[in-house]
Amino acid sequence: MTGINNTGKSRRKPDSAVSRRSVLRGSAAAAGAAVSAPFLGATRAYASGHTEIIHWSWLAASDGEVWAQMIDNFNDAHADKGVQIKMELVPEEQYVTKVLAATATGRAPDFGWGTAGKGAALARDGVTVPLDDLIDEVGLDIADFSDLSVTAARYPKYDNAMFMIPMDLMSLQPEINLDHVADSGLDPNSPPATGDELIEWGKAMTRRDGDTVTRSGILMTGSGVQPTVTWGIVAEQMGFRRASDDLSMAAVNPDAGIAAMEWVLDLFDKHKVSTRDVTDRYKAFGTGNGSIFWTGPWTLNGYVGQGLNFMTSNFPNIGGELKTYFEMGGLELYKQSDEGRYKATLDAVKWISDNSFLWTTVGRGASPRKSILERPDYKTAGHPWSVRGAFVEGMEFATIPEIPVVAGPEFTIYSGGNYLARTLEGVWARTKTPAEAMSELQARWQEGLDEG
Amino acid sequence: MATSAQTLGSGGTAEALPGERPPLEWVGYLFVALFAVPFLIFNVAPVFFGAYVAFTEWSIIGTPEWIGLGNYDDAISDEWVWVAFRNVLFYALIIVPGVTVLGLLFALFVNKSYPLSGLARTLFFAPHVVSATVIGLVWVYLLDTQYGLLNAVIGALGAPSIPWLTSSDYALVGVSMASIWWDLGLAFVLILAALQDIPRDLIEASTVDGAGPVNRLRFIVLPHLRPVLSMVITLQMISTLRIFSQVYVMTNGGPAGSSSSPIHYIYTVAIVRNLYGYASALAILLFLVILVATIVQRFAVREMAS
Repeated sequence: MTGINNTGKSRRKPDSAVSRRSVLRGSAAAAGAAVSAPFLGATRAYASGHTEIIHWSWLAASDGEVWAQMIDNFNDAHADKGVQIKMELVPEEQYVTKVLAATATGRAPDFGWGTAGKGAALARDGVTVPLDDLIDEVGLDIADFSDLSVTAARYPKYDNAMFMIPMDLMSLQPEINLDHVADSGLDPNSPPATGDELIEWGKAMTRRDGDTVTRSGILMTGSGVQPTVTWGIVAEQMGFRRASDDLSMAAVNPDAGIAAMEWVLDLFDKHKVSTRDVTDRYKAFGTGNGSIFWTGPWTLNGYVGQGLNFMTSNFPNIGGELKTYFEMGGLELYKQSDEGRYKATLDAVKWISDNSFLWTTVGRGASPRKSILERPDYKTAGHPWSVRGAFVEGMEFATIPEIPVVAGPEFTIYSGGNYLARTLEGVWARTKTPAEAMSELQARWQEGLDEG
Repeated sequence: MATSAQTLGSGGTAEALPGERPPLEWVGYLFVALFAVPFLIFNVAPVFFGAYVAFTEWSIIGTPEWIGLGNYDDAISDEWVWVAFRNVLFYALIIVPGVTVLGLLFALFVNKSYPLSGLARTLFFAPHVVSATVIGLVWVYLLDTQYGLLNAVIGALGAPSIPWLTSSDYALVGVSMASIWWDLGLAFVLILAALQDIPRDLIEASTVDGAGPVNRLRFIVLPHLRPVLSMVITLQMISTLRIFSQVYVMTNGGPAGSSSSPIHYIYTVAIVRNLYGYASALAILLFLVILVATIVQRFAVREMAS
């Protein structure tokens, strides 16, 4: 009996059914359930003979729809084979943070999207898994991948191991509004191939109201990605290097980098073919408020879908050495407590890679797989070659890669918010001279290289 | 005591006998715990953990490496930190007076029974129920240099377009305009509630005594509103020092950092660069700035009142 004191009077309220013990028991059960739920879930139906592979993706634009189709195709093909991929969308900017947090708590996804050269810190910290042995184990034919893609998937400072399976090769190439070309009496069959021709085309297609540019012949923004990546490409063409080949020295040939900053400034202030007043570059080109816009193949679905009349050409040779920005997307495997999952995951990735024709004809970029590039229908499938061709053939000179060091994100030229972009914004806004900016970049990048 | 122990041990929700220590009310603790435990885990503990991380170098993976005051040293020599804090000072100088004065004017307007004052009451408060992100996106369109509504009006008046969001001279002003519009609703409601608490006989007596609208405002209304105005200024100051969403959506801190804010920079350092130790140190610095600013502001308002 409980609640009876020496006076014989019960102190227990008759309507109270809650005791301390029952509270503690209930709390313990609830806490136990809460704590164990993630780990119960962690089996992902593995024990019952059905494997669910967790995939994180940040592809949220029109290319994301094609990628979702790729995952659906895998699941359809494996409906009776006990393996399914569950895709979860994670915002791109938060992707690395969430992968880190998930890995630290033992809940990392099995695989996800990565960009070659930007994951050195993940490789160093053991978040991404080196794949060379696993590739042999699952029989993925690495010889079928282009040398460029395999090299880009490796991190020389981390055993030169492959840390991703290449999925697409991308470059920045000019998209040109054909209505503007026709209005300006230009020949679409001879797109600009040099810096001078580019400026001529830009001037011909620019529209002004007095001294104000109302339609940019060369689409630019006053800050963010567009002027940064433009500078990066032109600077490399002029002979500037963000890092020496052995990754020991930063900002090689700084004068070329400074000259490239002047070239970008001239677009706004001397040639007046661009305006700093554009806030959304994608929208501006899509609505006909820009004539030449260098961007990547991820834009094709959207512009083709909306019926924009445009073509794509090769990036012009502005600085003397024909180059453009190179980016490679690929799939990374993340650290698991159960290493037995790696093989099942790479088996799935292998299937996706082997069947990536859809992705590299409709999705984005050129295929890194020689067997896909050699298919007779590669040029006729997906979007018209007039808009897709430059992104495939232009890969020949897409040779401006990421810098594969831990501080790599600070070096990337395709960024609107890293140290490079913020430093250059001062130049574009005329609050900092090109020489000052170059000096700051040199110091910061050297620290990054020294860090390894 | 034996009795008491026996009772507690029995687990009942017992009542104390005269002269005895009251027994613990476990059910009460349970109900408090439903809030307190998550609060301690998700609010209090992260603050202490953040204060610790501020003295370390850490990127989530691995053990934080103790570096003492290294992060604070870096913050002092980081030009972007100074830019962000300088910007937030300008934000405060624009937004806090803007919200307070407009909130007061709007509240005075709808406190009278003008035609459509009921509708105006709803419209003035409406922006506050919309998320800052949506407000930011809408104002990006309104302030667009080439196609924005505001510049269309300015153009119709014969003046040149103003690059509200694309020029380092105007970006901070553009973001401030959106922020004022968003924050106005709360200040308006608080001031309106205080206005309606002013005894009507005071107003009527002053009118009978010959006080005009200006004198009534100066000698009756404003003195009565002083406590709520002090609160509005304090809340707005704290809100402005923490400005983020509008900056992120409208300008991403640019051009050239001209519209960045401390929280935006902390976000960049933490989420984009994964430097959690440094970001925590910046957050601690911001906390100290908010604390000092609030104390100074409260002190200043009290001095003015006395």
